[in-house]
Amino acid sequence: MTQIPKDQPLREDEPSHSEDGVDLTLIRWMLSLTPAERLEVLENNVRSILRLRGEAEA
Amino acid sequence: MKPKPDFLAILQTLAKHQVDFIVVGGVGAVLQGAPISTFDLDVVHSRTGENVDRLLAALEALDAHYRTTGTREIAPGESHLSSSGHLLLTTRFGPLDLLGAIGQGRGHGELLGRTVKMKVGAGLSVRVLDLATIIKVKEEAGKEKDRAALAVLRRTLEEKSKS
Repeated sequence: MTQIPKDQPLREDEPSHSEDGVDLTLIRWMLSLTPAERLEVLENNVRSILRLRGEAEA
Repeated sequence: MKPKPDFLAILQTLAKHQVDFIVVGGVGAVLQGAPISTFDLDVVHSRTGENVDRLLAALEALDAHYRTTGTREIAPGESHLSSSGHLLLTTRFGPLDLLGAIGQGRGHGELLGRTVKMKVGAGLSVRVLDLATIIKVKEEAGKEKDRAALAVLRRTLEEKSKS
């Protein structure tokens, strides 16, 4: 199972957010994964949200 | 209870039936590194007769039918799949949107040159619309719901270009 992103040391020359407020650390973390791992992250996120809403089968 | 979304299982079923398709939309963006969430799988399918036949077989295996509020389950037919319209379906592995064309009438043939092939599972590679074109299509659509996602997609494309 793909791990939740751990706190990564911020590089001083790389901002954590873009000027329009986008979290760049999440993008960099996603880009460090393989496509299969990214799909797994998405599926886990969606299932978690649906479980919270009580909509998905266990 | 609704089925657990399993995008990989839908993609595997389409591939098993040798359906020609392109992954677009949110799942396509996630596969290319965008940290966004989506609840359905959007694909643009080839509308040739042979491919529509293969797609019909895949949809039967997926137990696909229209997402409607009524109690009757209606499965899409050959004429529906041959059109440029958007078919919003539910399957035993979760929601699947089949798009005959996207943006300004761009179909499978026109989009094929703007795809990247990505390995998404053991022995499974799929064609995905490249991120720049996903952004362009969303910009063309001009939907309010895409506004927040577009900012993330643009920044993802920028970060990708640095790596």
